[in-house]
Order: sequence, then C-alpha cells, then structure tokens
Amino acid sequence: MTTAIHLHEVTAGYRDTPVLKGLSLEIEAGEMIGILGPNGAGKSTLFSVVSGLLKPSAGTVKLYGSEIHRMPPAERARTIAVVPQELDVPVPYTVEEIVMMGRTSAIGRFSSPTAEDRLRVERALVYTDVTDIRHRPLNELSGGERQRAIVAMVLAQEPRIILMDEATSHLDLNHRLEIMQLVERLNRDDGVTVLMISHDLQIAAEFSRRLILLDHGQVVADGTPAAVLTEDTLRRVYHCNVRVHQDPHSGGISILAAPRLPAPGSGKGLHIHIIGGGGCGEAILRRLSLCGYTLTSGVLNLGDKDAEVASALGAGTALEKPFCPISREALDEARKLARNAHALIMAPVPFGSGNLTNFDLLDEALTAGKPVFIAAGIENRDYTRNRDAVARVQVLLTRGAALYQDVTDLIPLLPTC
Amino acid sequence: MNNRRNFWLVIGLAPLLLAFCVLMGPSGIGLPDLQTQYDILILRLSRVLAGFIIGAALSCSGVVFQAVLRNPLAEPYVLGVSSGAGLGAALAILTGFAGISTTALPLCAFLMAVVTLALVYGLSSHGSTPSLYGLILSGVIVSAVCSSLLMFIVSVASLEGMHNILWWMLGNLDMPSDPVLGLSGLLVAAGCTGLWIMSRELNALTLGHQMAHHLGIRVKVAILTALLLATLLAAIAVGVAGLIGFVGLIVPHIMRALVGSDHRRLIPAAALGGGAFLAACDALARTIMPVEIPVGVITALLGGPFFLFLLKRHRTPGWIG
Repeated sequence: MTTAIHLHEVTAGYRDTPVLKGLSLEIEAGEMIGILGPNGAGKSTLFSVVSGLLKPSAGTVKLYGSEIHRMPPAERARTIAVVPQELDVPVPYTVEEIVMMGRTSAIGRFSSPTAEDRLRVERALVYTDVTDIRHRPLNELSGGERQRAIVAMVLAQEPRIILMDEATSHLDLNHRLEIMQLVERLNRDDGVTVLMISHDLQIAAEFSRRLILLDHGQVVADGTPAAVLTEDTLRRVYHCNVRVHQDPHSGGISILAAPRLPAPGSGKGLHIHIIGGGGCGEAILRRLSLCGYTLTSGVLNLGDKDAEVASALGAGTALEKPFCPISREALDEARKLARNAHALIMAPVPFGSGNLTNFDLLDEALTAGKPVFIAAGIENRDYTRNRDAVARVQVLLTRGAALYQDVTDLIPLLPTC
Repeated sequence: MNNRRNFWLVIGLAPLLLAFCVLMGPSGIGLPDLQTQYDILILRLSRVLAGFIIGAALSCSGVVFQAVLRNPLAEPYVLGVSSGAGLGAALAILTGFAGISTTALPLCAFLMAVVTLALVYGLSSHGSTPSLYGLILSGVIVSAVCSSLLMFIVSVASLEGMHNILWWMLGNLDMPSDPVLGLSGLLVAAGCTGLWIMSRELNALTLGHQMAHHLGIRVKVAILTALLLATLLAAIAVGVAGLIGFVGLIVPHIMRALVGSDHRRLIPAAALGGGAFLAACDALARTIMPVEIPVGVITALLGGPFFLFLLKRHRTPGWIG
C-alpha cells in the first residue's frame, strides 16, 4: 500500500493560535475516511493544511511522498481536490463552464481544451447527472443541482485525493445519499482516496471504513466506525449524551442524541441554590437557567466569574468582598437564599480556608431534608491545610448527599415539577 | 451558442463603429475632402484612436477588478488611481510644468497614479501579500486624502488654473500628442494582452480564492499581477484623458451579458467593445452640440440607462449578465 496523506507532528492555525497541535496522521491510498469532531476541533484547519491552503508552522505534510508546499500548483491540482460546502459564484457561469474549470491546470495557457479534456468533462457531466442543465447558469440552480455540478468539476479535475468539506450538509436526504454513493463508487472503482468532514455521524459511519475523531486539534479516536462511535467517546468529545445502536443484522450504526436536558420549563417554580466560584459553576447556572429553574448562588466573592454569570442570569447572589474570607454577614445572607431552595448543588469548586464555611449551607439543607448534590473529585480541589473539605464531603455523603460527575449527569437527578 | 455568436458580432462590429466615428466631427458628418482637409482627417483619426485606446484600457481594467475582487461594483478607480492622477495633474497645471511640453501633464498624472498605487499596496500588506479588503480599504483612504489635497489646491488656484484643472478632471480626449498616443497605445495593448493570457487564472479566481488554489492556480501571484496590470491600465487612461467615468464599470457588465463570463472571450470583447464605445461617445460629444462637451457626460448619459435596461431584462440572481 502507498501512503496517500502523511502528516507528521503538524502544528497549524490562524495568526498565533494553533488549532492543530502536533497532529500526526497516515492515510493509505484508496481509503474512505470520515473526519469527525465538534466545532472548533480542527477539521477545517486539517483540510486547509492537507490541501496546501495553510502552511503549517511546524511539521510536514506529504501527499504521495512529496511535500505539498513544494508541489507545483498544477501537480497539486492533479493530486488533490476539494468539494466545498457551497460555492458562491458571482458571475453567471454555466454548468458546463464550471465543470470545464476542473481542467484548468490540465489545459495549457496558450491552448484550448483538447478532445480528451472534452471527454473528461462529458463523463463528469453524465456521472453527476447534470447533462440536461449543462447550459444553465450555476446561480440559477437549486442547491442539490449546484452541488452536483461542483462535484462534476472535481471529477473533471481527476484528482487522486478528494476532500469533502461538509459537502452534503445543505442537501436533502435523497441528494445527500446520491452524492455519497457517487463518491463511494469513485473510491471503489478508481481507487480515489476520500476524506470527508461531516457533522452527520450516521452518514459518516455508513460510508466510511475508518473514522478519525478530532478534538482540540488532536486525534482522540481513530479506527472502524464501531470502535470510534462509542457512547463513552462521543460523550467525552461532544459533551452530551448519545445512544449508539448497532443493528445486529446489517451491522449499521445509528446514533441518537439522548435527551440531554429536561423539557424546557420543566424546572419552573423550583428553586435551586448553587455554590460555585471561579467559573466552575458557570455551566451549571446556564443549563439550569435554560430549564427554567429559579436560581440563587453564593457565597461568592464580588467580581468572581460565577458571580457575573449569576447576575447576568438574574440569580440572587450572596456576595463577599473580593479576595476576603466569607464573613458571618455574607453567610447569613446566603442562608436566607438557601432556605427557600428545593435543592442545593455544589459545583466543582476549589476549597481553601476562606470559603470552607459554604459547607454549612449544605449541612443545614440536609438537616432540613433537602436533596444535596456534590461534584465528584473533591480530593483534587482541597487546598485547606488539614484536608478539611474532603472530611466535610465525606460527612455530607454519609448523611445522604449525592455525587455527580458533570452537568449532563446532574440534570436528570434534579427534582422536576 | 448565443455567447459565441455575440462574441464574433462584437469583434466584427467594433471596427465598423470606429470607421463611422472617423466620419463624424464638428466640421460635419462625412469624409473630409482629402485634398484640402487632410489635416482634419488626421486629427479625427488620432482622436478616434485615443478614444479606442482609453476605452479599451478602462474596460479591461474594469473586467479584471470585478473578477478579482468578486464585486460587481468594482471599477478601475477603486484603488485610488483616479485621485492620485488628479492630484498629479493639478500640481502640473498649477506649477506651470504642464506648459513645458504636451507630454508633461500625462506623465505627471501617470506618475502620481503609480505613486498612489504603490502607497495603497504598501499600506495594505503586512509583510506578505495584501488582503483584498485591506486593499480596498487603503484605496478608499488614500483616495480620500488625495481628493482633499486636490480640493485644497483647487481652492487656492487662480481662476484660469481652476478652469484647467476642472476641464481635465471632466475627462476629454483632446490632449494627446503623437508620442503620448503611441506610447500609451503600445502599453495598453501590452497590458490587455497580458490580462488575456491570464484568462484561466481570472476564470478560476471568480470562483473564490480558495477554489482557485484547489484548481491549481498560484493565487497570490495571480491576484497581484492581475491587479497591478489592471491598475496600470487605469493609470495610463487617467494620465492621458483625465477622469472618464462609467466606461470601466458598465462596459464589463454589458460585455459579460453579451459574450458570457469566460475571460478568454470577455477580455478581447471588452477591449474592442469598450474602445469602440468610448470612441463613439467622443464622436457624439464633439458633434451633437455647437460647443464640444466632455465625453464623460456622454458615457454616463448613455451607459446609465443601458445598464438599467440590462438589469431589468436579465433578472438573474447575483450578478447581471
């Protein structure tokens, strides 16, 4: 097998913020690969680097053994082509003219298209079923027709590698499958290497034999669809719950986004008090606010990130002066807020001697018979001299407080109306 | 194919229109008597030639600006060439430098246009190649500065100087001496040919710079060369004939509607069609009224309504054409 794409320790990004961080990747000729990952994971940057649009700040990118930035443009165009998500063409080129542009680098500067060029264009038009609209301007066509014309242009280019950058995301189900089948046939019959970015995990799983999952500019999973699309991995990367079903007969994988939030407004009329600090309670505050819960928080220090979020969301907050340990007055104020709450949540807050008294609020809530939820992993956030926070959490747990891992865990535990 | 037929129509009709222009003049319509009025014929010929050269330069330049900037409102003066040249001309007129020889004024205007261009490129590039928006923005700024300097000069000029500057700014084809005409003709021919050779780059660049890259174009080199050639064409036109508006904006659109958007056809069509258009406008400018009126007035009066007509007829989304 020859290596079609070889990335070695590639670091690249826009301006000074690297998006890809030391990414290494090897792709064999003739593979059909889905590139997955949440927004900002580096999928598009990966494509920019592989297609030579973006020069990596470190590392090497090789296509079929030659470095992309050393390749003459015409050879590069014969090696790799890109189907974009959409193509905005400000002048009324006809479909045929657009497809002929796929031959741009093949036709010499001083010559007109040869019989062979015309044959390739003709074949591409037939393959993509756009022969009957060949004389119509591209910008008059529907999204599906336009995308087929662009695929035809890429076919006429006859590259050895095709990158599909969310190429089917604007298309309806029928056209999406049609384009995917077309690309699959190219891959199978002509050995074209295909990489596709898709947010549709289902389509990616169905048409790829290998999936690469990116997150934060690095490969977090790489393998067969069944190996990559596990509930655990997806949950870790996409921060939401999913159900993955494998059909026992066909082996097809289907992915369902499991309900992540209770129905909007399910928390209406319920009051929850959150003990946060330093920004660790931000996500909890935001998500619970979306569910319609009445929120309060504190004690927080004035100017704290969580305090700002709480006030933006209209949550009443007991405040202490910046950088000061919690005073009796502030704690009393928090007590008043917590007294009306139906449940209390402790966000993953780091504890020092200054904010330790917040545990009193949780103690009192348990005494009053209210549910209390505590973020797991206090061992790593206890900065008190005698590991007081760990001790207090253990006491709370024996008294009936519940542990949670992260927000997605927490929400189903909360009381609803 | 309609486009192909129209292309040959443009190529065929342009020389006919040019020949007709030679027949028109303030001394009447018709061929002057070759024995007695030989000089008039030469005068008319050189004037028609000037119109043709300037029209071709402006139209080709406009085609390229619209394609590379991917903007239907782009025109040859978008990078501030016009204001720079205007400033140069005003300085030449006021300092009396323009009186030295007939080449002095065009030379001054052209040089200032080139200086402006260099300034605009310099301002918009951070180390490497300039970004398109950076180019347009610095073009606007440099142009504004030049305009205000020009206004200042006009406000302190003598009455005669002011009249001369204004007349120059309105644009006319009266000035060029033979050496100016010959040199500009050669340069414009070279520039238009250069752009024609770049047709496939221009075609690919209209699809966006990323797509052009994927199609195997050296994008940065192509953009810089195309813009440079187009701006130099505009600078030559402004230097020779002053500010003649609308030709560089409208002729490209009309030609695109007639022969299609493929630059292999569009550039020669724009050169010939635009040249003939301006020569015809100039012929009208010197015949329809007892006093000669600036040709810019005619181009705008003819071009505007024709443009609207096209816009109404072709209701295609995006661009007209």
